[in-house]
Amino acid sequence: MKSILLLACAFALPGMALAADHGPVFSYATPVNSQRELSFDSGVFGRNGSRGTQLSTGSSFGYGLTPHLTVNAFIPATFGSGGSLPESRIMPGSEWYAGASWRFLHSVTSVGKRIESTASLGAVVPGLQRDSGVLAGLHRAPGVAGSLATGLASRSQYLWAGAGYTRFAESSQDRRPDTISWSGVYGYRPAKLRRGYDQWDYRGFVELTGEHTGNVLRSGAIVPDSSTTTVWLGPSVLAIFKTVAISGGVQAPVFRDASDSMYGREHVRFAINFSYLKYSSHTSSH
Amino acid sequence: MKKILVAALLAFPTLAAHAEYKQVNLTVFGMDCAPCAHAIHVSMKGIQGVDTVDVDLNTGLVTIKLNPGNGAAMKQFNQAVEKNGFTHKDADVVVRGKLTGTAAAPVLEVSGTQDRYALSPTAASLDLATFVGKTVEVSGVLPQAPKGKVSDTLRYKTITEAQ
Repeated sequence: MKSILLLACAFALPGMALAADHGPVFSYATPVNSQRELSFDSGVFGRNGSRGTQLSTGSSFGYGLTPHLTVNAFIPATFGSGGSLPESRIMPGSEWYAGASWRFLHSVTSVGKRIESTASLGAVVPGLQRDSGVLAGLHRAPGVAGSLATGLASRSQYLWAGAGYTRFAESSQDRRPDTISWSGVYGYRPAKLRRGYDQWDYRGFVELTGEHTGNVLRSGAIVPDSSTTTVWLGPSVLAIFKTVAISGGVQAPVFRDASDSMYGREHVRFAINFSYLKYSSHTSSH
Repeated sequence: MKKILVAALLAFPTLAAHAEYKQVNLTVFGMDCAPCAHAIHVSMKGIQGVDTVDVDLNTGLVTIKLNPGNGAAMKQFNQAVEKNGFTHKDADVVVRGKLTGTAAAPVLEVSGTQDRYALSPTAASLDLATFVGKTVEVSGVLPQAPKGKVSDTLRYKTITEAQ
């Protein structure tokens, strides 16, 4: 009963928790930091479309308060000429984020295998950079982001599904669009690569992500054709050696419902992410 | 002279501490990747008295060898697993301690820690009467305990008088 209640509460949360160091590049996943583990991620995220390329860099920090509760923050920087692209939560943009991820379901079923679910909730605050495209000149206000991810991790295979929701507050009758995002990811580690922990650990993923952004509100009126829906598919690879991880991936659109005149055509998304994991050796005395 | 005295004082408990864990082989569930194993390695190495740690990801076996004179307690090994979000199962241990209680209801006390185990045989029961009151070396299995707990029973395979 308690588990059902927890699950219900988590689904009721608005949502955010993109995977970083231990998981796929674009998709929602369940891993959280160990207790007292400090993680640092820094990446380059690109979106290329008919109006140019938009590059974002961002750094995130995570700290494990308990084995199942991690607090995290993301500091972004965006540059490039493709700034009229639609709002995205899958691809980091210009918002600052601070929140927490709670692995509320954690079931270990055998050696190397676990089933788990993680909910995340945080505050999103627009960064210092000015928006461009349809969002240019819009009064900006903070928002709230939440997500839920669930899935399986094992020595050979990974399977995660997740969804997130972001809603911004209204400011002077302007409002950024709500975003609903979802993802499904399958990962595989070949038998030859199921090696010791003192060697590089590799795994490959196929990531399917989707996003629906609502309408932009400007001066109390909905901007016509500002809503978008896109679905993306592509591979990614994660390599980890003890405390460092490198991951990279690329995605192409498989479905697109967005105004070309407003956003242009987005052709490809790519990301490279570097992570450093600092584990704690602290244990209590007996 | 002062330094020699201090060194002697520091060395004395090491020589006198017969009750201690010598080796702990802990089965851990839930580790899927290299960082998981590395996290366990780092946590185990952080326990005072641990000499070497080996983690086999494919079997989930964590092998911990300890230095003589260590004061490590079983709870610390379990905590090192739990803080990384994993689950500890049975542990094979080689431990020295004082055999107290009676031959019918023997108890192993690992002095220097608060660990105290009721002994039960894994197979045929040994006559432990001659060991009562002596320091013994026990090889056996600590069954899985709930999170935050340590089993209060040690299922022994062998018991020998410690040298």
